Amino acid sequence: MDLVDLMEEKRFLGQEFLTWLWWKSEERGGSIFLPDRGDITVVFEKHMLLEYGDGESSEKLICSGLQTELQEARTGLLMGKKLEQARIQLVHAEQEWNFTLAAAMMEFRNVKLPKTAATEAGANADPEETEGMILERIYLFEELVRLVNELFRQYLQIRVGDEWLEERQKLRNWVNGSVKKAS
Amino acid sequence: MGFINGSASLVRFSVEGELPENTWDFIAERVKAFSFEDIDDTYDEYSIGWVSVLNMFDSDFAFGSYAAGDYVTLTLRIDERKVSQPILKKFCAKEEERIKKERQLPKIGKAMKMEIKERMHTELLRKSVPMPAVYDLCWNLGESTLLFFSTNRKAQAQLEDFFKETFGLLIMQQIPYVTAEHLLDEDQSYRLAGIGPEILV
Repeated sequence: MDLVDLMEEKRFLGQEFLTWLWWKSEERGGSIFLPDRGDITVVFEKHMLLEYGDGESSEKLICSGLQTELQEARTGLLMGKKLEQARIQLVHAEQEWNFTLAAAMMEFRNVKLPKTAATEAGANADPEETEGMILERIYLFEELVRLVNELFRQYLQIRVGDEWLEERQKLRNWVNGSVKKAS
Repeated sequence: MGFINGSASLVRFSVEGELPENTWDFIAERVKAFSFEDIDDTYDEYSIGWVSVLNMFDSDFAFGSYAAGDYVTLTLRIDERKVSQPILKKFCAKEEERIKKERQLPKIGKAMKMEIKERMHTELLRKSVPMPAVYDLCWNLGESTLLFFSTNRKAQAQLEDFFKETFGLLIMQQIPYVTAEHLLDEDQSYRLAGIGPEILV
């Protein structure tokens, strides 16, 4: 199968992962345990995009607001809409990333890196310092990708494993129950 | 904005294929051969090439400034002259009116309309200033992965073509399914191929 077909046929995979991640982040108050990394904090911030259907007949629903429980987004899930984008705060080892994950294509949008002396300084006249700044920014971008991939791996291992049936039931209970809980 | 400062949007690619043993010499030679050439003082419509991530006017890369540790950092610069449709339409109508008056014609034929359109397009193109677009990338040589700092599909396609032209290597976008294949073992990947969308309600 070529990449274009894979994009279409397996589009659900990223979206399902993002939905799972939302549930997972709420399950333990934002904290998710990664085997090699320990606890990382994943908080879904108040901006989401859900979609329903494909191509020209697709519907999109954008939910945002600072002091909301994302009631519309939760209702959207209940109506069978897929979570396509979410603004996420991710904290690990005292470093904080903010980014929007566009799930179907795994795009990292508007990534704000953790603040460090090097990333705040920007480019300057000293080539060595500039290279140091570039390397630090690369590390932080790649670290974000690695952390998200670790979360993705955790989801995938459950998804293709025997424990998926149990996990799916918990996820369904959350989708069905979260609207009532928030109201 | 993006890779060097501020917030950034990015997608991941894998780089497929082997680099020659003299990797850095090869990269230096290829980057130089495909560096950006300015078209401001020409009538060329389009130019694509590599520039420094720190300065879009630097296509010389003094001291191999694209190298940072085991990474290659480059900016893909694309300059393009364009004529917007409303402007072209306006100048065509103006020219048609002028010719009608000059030659005392009641109507302009289809063939002449086409000729006017082509001529106006060329004239306006020559007058237009090339529009620049820049997209950063960071190529991890050790892991053969690449971060591309744009979610624009057209730019991604241009990168795929130009990267292949420059280095002779294919790049493949790491969509979730492809990423998943890298994250799982063989048995798990096999099971992954068989799964379809789940109903979560």
